[in-house]
Amino acid sequence: MSSMPRQGALSLAPSYYDALRRLTLELAGINLGANHAFLVETRLARLAREEGYDSLDAMVDELFQTGGSRLAVQVVSALTERNTHFFKDQTAFKRLRDVVLPDLHHKRGGGRIRLLSFGCSSGQEPYGMAMLLHQMREELEGLKVDIVGVDYPSQALERAREGRYTHFEVQRGLPIRDLVEYFETDNADWVVKDHIKDQVEFRDIHLLSKLDTLDDFHAVMFCGSLPHYSAPARVRVLRGLSGLVKENGYLILGEGESLSQMNFGFDRVTKNSGLYKKREVIIEPEIDPTLKIPNGRTTFEKDRKKPQKLKTSKS
Amino acid sequence: MKTCLIVDDSRMIRRVAGRIVKDLGFETIEAVNGQDALDKCQLELPDAILVDWAMPIMDGFDFVKNLREMPRGDEPTVVFCTSVRDVSRIVEALAAGADEYIMKPFDSDIIESKFALAGLV
Repeated sequence: MSSMPRQGALSLAPSYYDALRRLTLELAGINLGANHAFLVETRLARLAREEGYDSLDAMVDELFQTGGSRLAVQVVSALTERNTHFFKDQTAFKRLRDVVLPDLHHKRGGGRIRLLSFGCSSGQEPYGMAMLLHQMREELEGLKVDIVGVDYPSQALERAREGRYTHFEVQRGLPIRDLVEYFETDNADWVVKDHIKDQVEFRDIHLLSKLDTLDDFHAVMFCGSLPHYSAPARVRVLRGLSGLVKENGYLILGEGESLSQMNFGFDRVTKNSGLYKKREVIIEPEIDPTLKIPNGRTTFEKDRKKPQKLKTSKS
Repeated sequence: MKTCLIVDDSRMIRRVAGRIVKDLGFETIEAVNGQDALDKCQLELPDAILVDWAMPIMDGFDFVKNLREMPRGDEPTVVFCTSVRDVSRIVEALAAGADEYIMKPFDSDIIESKFALAGLV
């Protein structure tokens, strides 16, 4: 055990706490804030136990002494894991149901579309999307949908892949009729049924990376995380997302979230909403400055005939 | 103020659930079994009912069936709060007239979430 001084009921030395805040800011672009010491300790103590360390201090000592990148990612993933539940951002799901999906269905008719849950944590959001699509199957007839959930590699993402939730998790935000329809029991847990699970693919990815390993999407849901990012990280993550959304595709932010002053190629769908539509890029042909224009013409349009005055015959 | 009838044969559960429901802005009434709850509903219908399944004299399932057959018995929002986790029993409870369903053990977040889903808060 480390002989670091103790801070009230918390065991982690203040210098380590500051170092963890810096690490999280550098790796994930997220400000942990000054008052989250208890949360930091709770989450890291759980990770330390699961990874077989004798104590939280032992894990943090190793992190900063050996600088192992795997452990750093695990620590940052644990610290930034979103405390989520099913249909947490009801406004975002309402936008998906009332605007985005009907519009994509109307424009495309049948065919296949791709939806992304960006920062999906333990998977409740992408599974919620799949449940919503199942409920709208008659309205969206002919539309096939692939859902991808991405987040940092973490135990939360592993749980998402399993689709396994405790009885506490399935009772937050999930109507009982949905629980009965889309889950089955396995001992004390509830597991997402295969027809929902098969619709969702999970991928671990660094959310601030170039994201070029992902294909384009018709709609991206990014809820609840934006306010936690530092200003530079916010620009980086939104620029990355902008490249992922297809033209005329949608970006759905959380309740009360917006792109602020910058638009990243998106237009707001309605005033004061966190729903954005990607602009269509109009490709302007490049003009070769060396090209000679015959007769000094700047257009191929024929000279318009001047309107002739009507001759009035005197009677 | 909205009223919530808490029906459970355990005094501890009535007390814990009562505190959570009061924090959500409800005035609480208590009943120790289904028959007691039915008697109280005949005097005055509450806005919400949080009801256990297994109780002596009349269980929660029979209470809900009887309640829904009463005049204006379809008005209160009924949330089961029980240790029964079997899917087929949950389906039975919904068919009998329950609006939502809480599996014990619960915490304040779960009650708040279920009350919100049922349109009570």
